[in-house]
Amino acid sequence: MRMALLIAAKDLRQRLRDRSIILFAVLAPLGLALIFSLLLRGASSFHANYVVVDLDGGSLATTFTGQVLGGLEDAGVATVETLATEADARQAVEVSNAEGWKADAAFIIPVGFSDAIASGQPTSIQILGAKDAGLQTEVARSVAARFADGVTSVQLAVLTLGDLRGAPPAGADLAAIVAAAQQAAIVLVDTATGLRQLSWTTYFSSAMAILFLFFAVQSGMLSLFEERRQGTLARILAGPIRPGTILAGKALGSFVTGLTSMLVLIVATTLMLGADWGPPLGVALVVVAAVTSAIGITTLVTSFMRTFDGASAANAAVAMTLGILGGTFSPTAQAPEAMQTLSLLTPHAWFLRGLAEMQGGGTIADALPAVGVLLAVGLATGAIGFARARRLVAAR
Amino acid sequence: MSKEAQASVATAAPVSPHAPAAGSAPVVLAARDLRKRYGAIEAVRGVSLEIHEGETYGLLGPNGAGKTTTISMICGLLARDGGEVTLDGTPIDVGAVAAKAGIGFVPQDLAIYPDLSARENLQFFGRLYGLSGARLKTRIGEVLEIVGLTARANDRTDKYSGGMQRRLNIGIGLLHQPRLLLLDEPTVGVDPQSRSAILESIAALGRQGMAILYTTHYMEEAERLCDRVGIIDAGEIRAEGTQRELVALVGEQDTVRLTVTGDVVRAAADVAKVPGVVRADAKDNTIEILVSDARRALPRLIDAAEVRSDVKGVDVVEPDLEAVFLHLTGRALRDAAK
Repeated sequence: MRMALLIAAKDLRQRLRDRSIILFAVLAPLGLALIFSLLLRGASSFHANYVVVDLDGGSLATTFTGQVLGGLEDAGVATVETLATEADARQAVEVSNAEGWKADAAFIIPVGFSDAIASGQPTSIQILGAKDAGLQTEVARSVAARFADGVTSVQLAVLTLGDLRGAPPAGADLAAIVAAAQQAAIVLVDTATGLRQLSWTTYFSSAMAILFLFFAVQSGMLSLFEERRQGTLARILAGPIRPGTILAGKALGSFVTGLTSMLVLIVATTLMLGADWGPPLGVALVVVAAVTSAIGITTLVTSFMRTFDGASAANAAVAMTLGILGGTFSPTAQAPEAMQTLSLLTPHAWFLRGLAEMQGGGTIADALPAVGVLLAVGLATGAIGFARARRLVAAR
Repeated sequence: MSKEAQASVATAAPVSPHAPAAGSAPVVLAARDLRKRYGAIEAVRGVSLEIHEGETYGLLGPNGAGKTTTISMICGLLARDGGEVTLDGTPIDVGAVAAKAGIGFVPQDLAIYPDLSARENLQFFGRLYGLSGARLKTRIGEVLEIVGLTARANDRTDKYSGGMQRRLNIGIGLLHQPRLLLLDEPTVGVDPQSRSAILESIAALGRQGMAILYTTHYMEEAERLCDRVGIIDAGEIRAEGTQRELVALVGEQDTVRLTVTGDVVRAAADVAKVPGVVRADAKDNTIEILVSDARRALPRLIDAAEVRSDVKGVDVVEPDLEAVFLHLTGRALRDAAK
């Protein structure tokens, strides 16, 4: 063990001198996590400014402006201002001021809107969208479409009632029916898992950390090729040391490198980006398991290669492929089902899952399955990799 | 007893009288019948040698003769196909971890960490061999003095000159004061000044009682440094003994070098017919002649050479290891090295 520690300490000293490890292990993942978080921060806190022009003034138009658009305001999703004319609305979305557009989109309810619905005639709500406010305009369009769907149902109901009663409902009765049609019949609430997901900031922080972890830990086994090239491996082997101890020293150096990289990233993203990684003990378990997994896979890949360049390229390819499959660039929940299943073959997906399981009401115990999978992958690939890698340090 | 009988001309396992320096000192290294094959090529064919305490043994031979393969098998770096090696009676092979601590190895190529300083390199390899604390610190200081790197001890070694790197390469090997120091052509590529300093350092280690195995293809180094020399060619030790014993193998033959202009090849052929000439080789504008009783034969050699060329210079060389190698292998050492 003393010899393995000696080799690990020497390797770590060399890596600190070779600043590329700092780039791969800390700066690159931290920088990318920061960029991704900033890019998506707006997407995670949606808000729109809308204006509405009610040229109809009827009960159904009032239902739309009061209940539908008012509902958006109550939910904090949008701010809605009422304007008098269509020209005012156009100016609001077409003319910018120092603070940008006054409105992201405008709803214009035409004259005769309520009567048209009551009589079963076609009508429309006009949507005017500001340039560069595509998302807000789409939301406005969706809101109007949802209202229109409800109206279609109402018209069918009105016709049916008219047949039954001999006269269709009108006025307040009709408005009540339309309002009822805007309520969703079924609301799905998943209280068990609804909160067990990583925030965008935490997701990208952890995703970049696991992606670059595979680059950080590969330097240990790759250094075998470098030591062979510069003759120091032969010199070490001529000394009182077993080949397996050299491999253990290399792995130990990689382990410390990986843990240090993760620790720095966890602290930095927590302080700088506000990432919430979860309970420290649980995070420590997941991280240790992930580092073990990364070293195992890296050792296995390296054991098949004969040169530094070959091993470096193969490890990079494997790291990127597993990273993409494992959802380090976009959450696997947004991917097709087949991809979600495939992602379970990667340590990256299990790492992110382990962290996510501890969010919301989750506990450390919830992360243990992911920890188990990561450790199993690391130990299995590591065992095969070390057995094969002995040829790299064995006497010829 | 004839002079030829004093040195052994190897056929299988040569056993030679010990050098005066070794005397009755205990045997530190014993290698017997070492063999190594790379595919169809048998790189080492039954090499045997012994080195005593305080003795410096030179393995002299051209590149590709099997020196590095032999030394790699001795230090347990290379698995052997046959034979055995003992260090103070303890068997050495690739798995003999503890016994390897008694060996210091200086490989032919540089084996140092370029991104670490000389002190850091020495610290790492010193700890690898079990040194620590004050003992390690003291030895690092001593070794830095020996190899003349004290003033630059804390500089990264990739900032060193080639000679300085070579000296550190040697210093690492002797850091833990091994029983046996293996030096595989340690002066290749070293400037003359550094080479002289290195040879002096190694000679001092020998005087301190260290057993040293030194491989080289430089005849002068073997002559200057080694108590005994084994001449190796094509994986076999062809002869071994002290320099005097080996030179005696050549008998009364001297080497005469004639510098000529004209038809050198045909002139060499004419010279070869002179009585007493063992061999005459033409090379560039010289004829190298191995001849008995050179001073008496010299006029006839010049006459023969001048039939087809003009003799511009004459050089009579006393028998040396170069002549021994020529005598044993039929090739000049420097030519074989190329």
